[in-house]
Amino acid sequence: MAATEIELTPDQRLALETELRTLADDEFVIAERYTEWQVHAPTLESDLALANIAQDELGHARLWYDLLEELGYDETDLLWERDPDTFRHATLSELPFPEGEWADAIVRSYLFDVAEGLRLEALEDSAYPAIADRVGKIQREEGYHTEHAENWLERLATDDEGGDHLQAAVDRLFPHALALFVPAEPVPFGAETVSGDGAGSQYTDADALPDAATVEETIVSEGYRSDSLATLGERWLDRVVPTLESHGLRTPVPADGEITDELVPDACGRNGNHTDDWDTLYADFTHTYRELGREDATMIMDRPE
Amino acid sequence: MIWEVFRQEKPGDYHTHCGNVHAPDREMAKQFAVVQHGRRKPTESLWVVPQEEVGEVDADEVAFGGTTDKSYRWAMAYTSSTEHAKEVIASQQEQEQAEADRQRGDD
Repeated sequence: MAATEIELTPDQRLALETELRTLADDEFVIAERYTEWQVHAPTLESDLALANIAQDELGHARLWYDLLEELGYDETDLLWERDPDTFRHATLSELPFPEGEWADAIVRSYLFDVAEGLRLEALEDSAYPAIADRVGKIQREEGYHTEHAENWLERLATDDEGGDHLQAAVDRLFPHALALFVPAEPVPFGAETVSGDGAGSQYTDADALPDAATVEETIVSEGYRSDSLATLGERWLDRVVPTLESHGLRTPVPADGEITDELVPDACGRNGNHTDDWDTLYADFTHTYRELGREDATMIMDRPE
Repeated sequence: MIWEVFRQEKPGDYHTHCGNVHAPDREMAKQFAVVQHGRRKPTESLWVVPQEEVGEVDADEVAFGGTTDKSYRWAMAYTSSTEHAKEVIASQQEQEQAEADRQRGDD
């Protein structure tokens, strides 16, 4: 069933787009960062493994962006000419790697892939059939990503030096990983496409645009995702905190397990606030498009199924 | 540590040597092998084997096939045609192939 055949109310459409944007942007941006390791990873084998993971994540981003295209956007709206402030990925994806810090790539991938796995599970029975259809394909690749990160984590943690590098990465990345579970601000009226005809434009008054919490409620109540981000966040903590602790690593999570807003950075990405590094990364990956004076994106493959 | 990798393309095929990977242990070796040797070509299964576990015997140590003329092993002396002697033809081709391989090896 083609997505376009489903009649969506403005609230439904905004919720759906918001969910798809976070899924797609998370994957696209982390893949951009992983790619920086190409020819710089510690060994040929680890280089190929991470490059392969980056390719997978780009493929997943494509599956999600494609569903946004079915809703009327094109690739230039979604990537090449998009206002960088309207990207909704969690800042975990965009942070640069401190030079040569392989432990950062491993911890980041671990925190990200566990979260993604949980999120995909909650999309398996999505009420939006096109989402449910694509989940299985992505899950079959994600299992390998988590295993790769866990294998490295385990081995880096076996000596003091590796442990120190891992701890520094956990300290730096953990707050930005919590951002993965922050409900995303819907993209405001007119800002989301070049022509300004996205879901937000269905709200005649920009003030009437629902807030992040309301949109998150709609995502769950409409069954686009079966569990709330808050529930997924708890499951994620239940899994990553004991694992990190078993490797002698500390997390900023207090003993009572209560996550407060103070633990999440202001620039968390989901709310449209990004770190300064995002502007640089965005300028980098759109550089060639601008330099060549392009006005549309070239497709070299068929649209994904 | 180096692990030799053997790839099987289809069920029932032999695992054929296709290269190696550097990895600290078997688990990582398997994972790297999947990416390095099973990513682009059709793959049914991979074996990873620690390089030092491979026993080798080479032509400096033994004369493979013996040193005397044993051409009787090959069905050379029969006149035959494809209609009634496919096995003989096959055997001749096998020998020609073996000869060609041997000569390549000498280069």
